Amino acid sequence: MSTMNKKAKVKQNPGGIVAKYAFLLVMAFVFAMPMVFTLLSSVKTKTEIFAKPFDLPAVFQWGNYIEAWQAANMSRYFINSIIQAGATVIVLALVSSMAAYVLSRFQFKGNKFLVLFFMLGMMVPMHTVLVPVSYIIGTLNLKNNIPALVLIYVAFSLPFSIMVMSNFMRGVNHSLEEAALIDGATYFQIYRKVMLPLCVPAISTISIFNFLSAWNNILFPLLFINDKNLKPIALGLLNFNGERGSDYGPLMAAIVITVAVPLVMYLLFQEKVEGGLAAGAVKE
Amino acid sequence: MIKVKNNKMRMTLALFLLPALLIYILFQIVPLIGAVFFSFMEWNGIGGSALQFVGVKNYIGAFQNPDFILSLKNMFKMVVFSVLFHTPIALVMAAVINTKCKGYRIFKALFFVPTVFPLTAVGLMWYFVFMPTGVFNSFLKVIGLGGVAQAWLVNPATAMNTIVFVNIWAGVGYYMVILLAGLTTISEDVYEAAAIDGANKLQCFFQITVPMLKPTIAMCILMDIIGSVKVFDLVFAMTGGGPNGLTNLPTTLMYNEAFKYSHYGLGSAIGIIIMVICLAGTMLSNKLTSKKNDE
Repeated sequence: MSTMNKKAKVKQNPGGIVAKYAFLLVMAFVFAMPMVFTLLSSVKTKTEIFAKPFDLPAVFQWGNYIEAWQAANMSRYFINSIIQAGATVIVLALVSSMAAYVLSRFQFKGNKFLVLFFMLGMMVPMHTVLVPVSYIIGTLNLKNNIPALVLIYVAFSLPFSIMVMSNFMRGVNHSLEEAALIDGATYFQIYRKVMLPLCVPAISTISIFNFLSAWNNILFPLLFINDKNLKPIALGLLNFNGERGSDYGPLMAAIVITVAVPLVMYLLFQEKVEGGLAAGAVKE
Repeated sequence: MIKVKNNKMRMTLALFLLPALLIYILFQIVPLIGAVFFSFMEWNGIGGSALQFVGVKNYIGAFQNPDFILSLKNMFKMVVFSVLFHTPIALVMAAVINTKCKGYRIFKALFFVPTVFPLTAVGLMWYFVFMPTGVFNSFLKVIGLGGVAQAWLVNPATAMNTIVFVNIWAGVGYYMVILLAGLTTISEDVYEAAAIDGANKLQCFFQITVPMLKPTIAMCILMDIIGSVKVFDLVFAMTGGGPNGLTNLPTTLMYNEAFKYSHYGLGSAIGIIIMVICLAGTMLSNKLTSKKNDE
């Protein structure tokens, strides 16, 4: 602290402090308003939502959540999203770490080309491929095929995942690997026993990201899935709105359920989510 | 880097790359080539039925289609207003939060959290806020502006602007976090030197923070342009492109054309145009930023 005090400080006038907090509070209001309104409405009756939008409910309508979870099929959508996003995360962690291991640790002809080739995918918006993908779905009969849906998620997240994994692996010290080689370990053993354990931070970064993007995606499920029992939650929510758009209480509860998982993930892994985002952005 | 010496080693490494390459080629590269191919074809949407080569007819059709021109105008609006608001607001937020003032963690989390939510949920949330009987109109009445109250997402004059606003709301936190990361790279010494010279906070912000963050700001704007071109979920959840297609963006228009009306050729052409716009945006801003760095 003593050194801190010696340092020159930029003068801060009281007006500036007022302006600063005024800005923060106005912004906080704009950001919190729709979220608080949704949360409040999720435990109100339909009449209360419109008659007294700013009040607490007379009686908390927890039944709205039960209604959304059971009758409106949100539990099914929730589990579907866990399965689809979970599978995407696992496949990506495996496939991207294997590819990144070769691309970041070995010198061979075509290495640079492969890196660029994988980066090319970052430039392709999902909308560009919708028609051919739907043609492939139709021709190969892949409608409602969840593994195919997972693989297309994987393909679109591969460039980012490989980039983050290779950047991380390039910074890993070579001595452990060399020692293992001298001991006669195979490359697979080195990847499995040396690299993977060292890469846990990078794997968790990409996994949080890949989970969120699969959880939030609706574009590919719109093409792949017409069976109501297979829809992921972001799409199921729209389904619910389409079918019972005036059941406001349960709908608000369904919105809360949909955002709950990303919210909890963010609160648990705040640094990871923000850090990974900035890292991904700097390289793009 | 370990040098690859023999064929046996080459085979082993190829096996490591194989799963990624296979998935990537089959599910991204093949569809990408397919997208270019389809944009020159006419197809009725039935799996296995014949395709007919029509040349650039789909592209000409797109630019002669008033709906597509309108969607381009909407996209332009979305890009311009997102760029005008996202980065400047995010920059002020980042600068203020970086002072580590009381409660800064809560403010940061509050501003950032919408960016991790599914955009369909964000869209629905705001849809209910902006409903004719929604909380926004009630709020306007409370503060004495009841006369302004209206059906924000139904009125053609306000629908697109409302969506643009929600897009700004949903994205600010993302740019704030990136700019915050950039701010940490500016050394405290610079500010101390400025303080000795008698600079105030505002001068520091415009004379030090903004110039030193230029590369990060440029990157935010680039990502914002590309991100705004690709907005889909918000429109899909809030208006579905309505009223009367007035809030369509190229993305929602291509979805509707291809999958509602089976105009697959037109849909593909729009899909390629979207990609070209993104590529052009990237190259343009790369050129601009690299020029600045040379100076």
